[in-house]
Amino acid sequence: MSEDIPHQNLAIIGHVDHGKSTLVGRLLYETGSVPEHVIEQHKEEAEEKGKGGFEFAYVMDNLAEERERGVTIDIAHQEFDTDEYNFTIVDCPGHRDFVKNMITGASQADNAVLVVAADDGVAPQTREHVFLARTLGINELIIGINKMDLVDYSEDSYKEVIDEVTDLLNQVQFATDDTTFIPISAFEGDNVSEASENTDWYDGPTLLEALNNLPEPEPPTDAPLRLPIQDVYTISGIGTVPVGRIETGTLNTGDNVSFQPSDVGGEVKTIEMHHEEVPSAAPGDNVGFNVRGIGKDDIRRGDVCGPADDPPSVAETFQAQVVVMQHPSVITAGYTPVFHAHTAQVACTIESIDQKIDPSTGEVAEEDPDFIKSGDAAVVTVRPQKPLSIEPSSEIPELGSFAIRDMGQTIAAGKVLSVDER
Amino acid sequence: MGDVAAKIKVMPESPDVDLDALEDRLEAALPEGAEIRGYQREDVAFGLVALLPTVIVPDDAGGTEAVEEAFSDVEGVESIDVDSVGRL
Repeated sequence: MSEDIPHQNLAIIGHVDHGKSTLVGRLLYETGSVPEHVIEQHKEEAEEKGKGGFEFAYVMDNLAEERERGVTIDIAHQEFDTDEYNFTIVDCPGHRDFVKNMITGASQADNAVLVVAADDGVAPQTREHVFLARTLGINELIIGINKMDLVDYSEDSYKEVIDEVTDLLNQVQFATDDTTFIPISAFEGDNVSEASENTDWYDGPTLLEALNNLPEPEPPTDAPLRLPIQDVYTISGIGTVPVGRIETGTLNTGDNVSFQPSDVGGEVKTIEMHHEEVPSAAPGDNVGFNVRGIGKDDIRRGDVCGPADDPPSVAETFQAQVVVMQHPSVITAGYTPVFHAHTAQVACTIESIDQKIDPSTGEVAEEDPDFIKSGDAAVVTVRPQKPLSIEPSSEIPELGSFAIRDMGQTIAAGKVLSVDER
Repeated sequence: MGDVAAKIKVMPESPDVDLDALEDRLEAALPEGAEIRGYQREDVAFGLVALLPTVIVPDDAGGTEAVEEAFSDVEGVESIDVDSVGRL
């Protein structure tokens, strides 16, 4: 990994079979990120069989095989470098139950490439992933209209799909001004690293150019400190040590901090990261620290640590926008599933369903509906059954999204619109 | 649908937990269909070391929940978090 260029987490999203894996392989291939031995192995085999050329399909097969065996490479983590950035790929599994991991996991994406097949257009998972991208706070979408080879590189087909995608983006209020559409074929390599002769009607950037043009993600250092507590330890000779990953702001020794909703606080004495004492830690850092006067039973997993003079919000109720992904029947007021937000898992009652949003127009379809079901988007008011620290997504997006689980399934995902504090 | 690789962060109950023995216990606790493909270790703070097994689960198996639950019950485990997921 390159140390001297900025880093981004890049999500590859889109409907199953629209070519996400092929695009990932193509990006690795075009940026020279395919492991050396895979290329060497191909050269040897090609020479033996007396056929030249470097076949992308071969590399794809062998990458898949490498990953299946998965002995030497970090298979949950793939990266490539462009001129401007080091990208880590966040490749979204198709199954809905992985959505919880995408919301509470460490590798939240900064930007995303949405893959839409030119021969299929907007499909159910396209819709779901775009809403998730919005919920997860993804800033910019690059849209690859893929499989252009299958529609004979037709500009008309390309434009039709653009219209469908634009409608979808408008529905979830993604600013379409910032969106880049690119006609590509991940399999053939059109418009990925070099402008394709097959699409002479297109004069926009290639995919790699568009990735280079992304704005540099700014770590949320200027936001107030928010550090969800993962675990609390008693370490001999040190005392109570909470452990967690800083989501926003900075943690410094000498800071006066507050833990919510446990509502205790004190002065930060020491901070350690990778077993070394540090004076200060920033977003993304996994830290253990020690706070004067805090005992092991005073704080717990799910607490959020923040500045004493700008403490984390604790919700009496909160209003949120949710999308129901799967539910066997209908959701009505009074429903009490478990909400997963940062490190907290708290049963929350959906106190009222305030508005149902029409997915085809994005407008309010119904005020105070009796129920919502799979596929519906809605604004709801939620009452946690135990104290929960959570923030409006517009203020601190890192602490403003959640997954709703029930019956062993992720049934919905959402973001917090406003918090009515205790 | 293919398989999914999930890197799972296992925090031990204390710095004194023997991580080699813990690896064996995690292996034994795996639900059917899941498989561990190697471990990483990460120094955290004050002697605490996180164990990060990469677990392969089928994409249609309903996520990492079964693995998380199984690991949570293993002796010496303080907490389980999914660090990252990627498709194979």
